[in-house]
Amino acid sequence: MKARLFKALTMSSKTSAVRIVNFTKRFGSFTAVDSLNLEIYDREIFGFLGPNGSGKTTTLLTIATVYKPTSGDIYVYGHSVTKEDYEVRRLVGIAFQDPKALWIDKVQDMLEWHARVVGLSRVEAKNVVKEVLETLELWDHRNKYFYQLSGGTRKKVELAKVLIQRPRLAILDEPTAQVDVPTKHKLWDIIKMMRDEGSTIIIATNDMFEAEKVCERIGIIYKGRLVTVDTISGLKDKIPKGDVIEVTIEGDGLRDRLLNMLSEIGRVDYSGNIIRVFVERAEEKALFVADMLRSAGVKVKSLMIKEPTLDDVFMYFTGARLIESSQ
Amino acid sequence: MKSVLVIAARDLKRFWSYRFWLAGQIVMNVADIVIFGLLFNNMINRSLIPDYIKFVTPGILSLALFISSFSIGREVGVELRREVSDYLLSLPVSRVELVLGRFTGGALRGLIYQSGFIVLAMLLVGVPSGYAWLVVAYTSITLSFAMSGLSIALSTVTRDFNLQATIRSVVYYVLFFFSNIFYPPRVIAARFGGFADAVAYSPLSIATSLYRWAFGYTSEVDVAVDSLLLAAWTAVLLLASYFLYLRNLTKKG
Repeated sequence: MKARLFKALTMSSKTSAVRIVNFTKRFGSFTAVDSLNLEIYDREIFGFLGPNGSGKTTTLLTIATVYKPTSGDIYVYGHSVTKEDYEVRRLVGIAFQDPKALWIDKVQDMLEWHARVVGLSRVEAKNVVKEVLETLELWDHRNKYFYQLSGGTRKKVELAKVLIQRPRLAILDEPTAQVDVPTKHKLWDIIKMMRDEGSTIIIATNDMFEAEKVCERIGIIYKGRLVTVDTISGLKDKIPKGDVIEVTIEGDGLRDRLLNMLSEIGRVDYSGNIIRVFVERAEEKALFVADMLRSAGVKVKSLMIKEPTLDDVFMYFTGARLIESSQ
Repeated sequence: MKSVLVIAARDLKRFWSYRFWLAGQIVMNVADIVIFGLLFNNMINRSLIPDYIKFVTPGILSLALFISSFSIGREVGVELRREVSDYLLSLPVSRVELVLGRFTGGALRGLIYQSGFIVLAMLLVGVPSGYAWLVVAYTSITLSFAMSGLSIALSTVTRDFNLQATIRSVVYYVLFFFSNIFYPPRVIAARFGGFADAVAYSPLSIATSLYRWAFGYTSEVDVAVDSLLLAAWTAVLLLASYFLYLRNLTKKG
C-alpha cells in the first residue's frame, strides 16, 4: 500500500510532456485511433507497442502536427496541436517510419538543409551535421544520393535529422527497422543519451526486444485503442498468474491430452513442442507439472521457470500474438 | 522571412541537380531563337513581323521564365506521392512560411534561369532604358511567382501520377501555344477571330508584350494597364495556389 502511494505521488509530480485527451482520428469511415487518453512525462522514453496498422503512426503524426485530430486534442508541453501547431512543431522532431527524401537528394545536403530549417546558422549546421554523420557512421555516405542508400542507412539518415535538431520531444517511428543488430544497439544507446541530455522520447515499435531494452513505459495499442499502459514490470505484474513454466517435450502428438491436463493448473499456451503454463508461484508448481507429465508418459527435455515476455503481456491484453498481428 | 528563404534555397539547389534537363531546356530555348529567328525570318510576311528574331526573343524571355518556374511542380507532385510532404509539414515553420518558401523557390529558379536570356535579348533586341529595367524586373518577378504558384497547385490536385502529369502538360501547352510569343496579335486575330482577345490577356502574352516594350521592339503597349493585369493574374494565381496547395498538402490528415 505504501509502495503504491509512493508510486502515485512520484508519478503525479512528473511534468507532462504530452497529454492526449479523447483523441480520435478517422480517415473516411475508417477509425485509425479511437478515444485515446494518455499522458507522457518529461524526459521519459515512452514506447507505443502494437502491430502494423494499430494506430501508432497516426498518433505520432498527429503529435507532430502532420495530421489533425478528428476529435479530441493533444497537448505538447501545454500547446494544443489544433490551436498552436506552430508552437508544437518548434518543440517536436520526428524520424519517420519511411525515410522522407527524393532520389535526387544527397545525404549531407539534405541534413545541412534540415539543420538550417530547424534554426542553426550555416556554420553551426556544417559542424553539427559532420558530428552526427560521424556518430552514425554515415560520413562515407555523405555525398551519395538518397536512392543509392540501403534501407538501414536510410533509417540512420532519418534518425540523424532528430539528432541534429535535438528537439525537446523526439518522435521515433520504428527507428531500428531494417537496421543490423550491432547498429540497433548503438542507436538504442544514442536514444538513451538523448533522453539523458534532456529530450523526451516517444518510440513506436512492434519489436518487443526494442521496447523492453529502451522504453521505460509502454502503451499497448491495438486496433486503434490504447489497451494498457505501464512500466514493463508493471505490465508483467498485471497478468494474473503471470509466472511461466516453460516445458520442452519430445514429440508434439499429445497436444489435446496435455492441454486438458495442464489447464487445471493454469492457462496453457502450446506451440510446437513447447508448452507454456501461466501460474502463480511457479517455483511451487514446477515439480507438480513435471510429475504430471512424467506420469502421463511424456518425455521432458527441459523445464524452466520464466518471467512473462512482452508478447505474453500483449497476448493477455489483446488475445493476439504481436508477431502474428504484425504480419 | 528567414525560413521562407531557407525553404526556397532547397528548391533552388535541387534545380541545379537536373543538369541534363537544364541543358535540354537551354538548348531548346536557344534553338527557338536561332531556328525560328534565322529560318523563319525570311519566310514570314514582313508587313506583319519586320524582324522575327527581335520579335521572338522577348517572347523567349517569357517562355524561359515560365518553363523554369513551372518545373518546381514536378518535385512538389513527387513529394506528395511519396509523402515527403509529411516531413515538410512536421518542420518548425509556419504553414504560411512553408507555402511562400515553395513559391519563392520556384520563382528564383525562373529568375536565375532567365537572366542569361536577358543578356541575349540585350544583344539581339536592344538595351532597356532606366525605367524599362524596372518593367523588366517587375514583369519577371510577378510572372515567375505566378507560374511557380500555378505549377505547385496543379501538382497537388491529385496524387495519381498519370493524371498529375497530364494536367500539368495540358496547362503548360495551353499557356505556351495560346500566347503571343510566336505570333503577333494580328495573325492570331486573323486565324482565331474573337479568341485572339483571350490569348492577348493570358499572363504569358501580357509579360511578352511588356518585355517587347522594355527591350524597345515596340512602343504600342500600354505598360500601366498590362502591369496591372499581370499583377491581377499573379494575385489570383498565388491566392488560389496558396489555398489549393495547403488544402491538398494536408488533405490526408
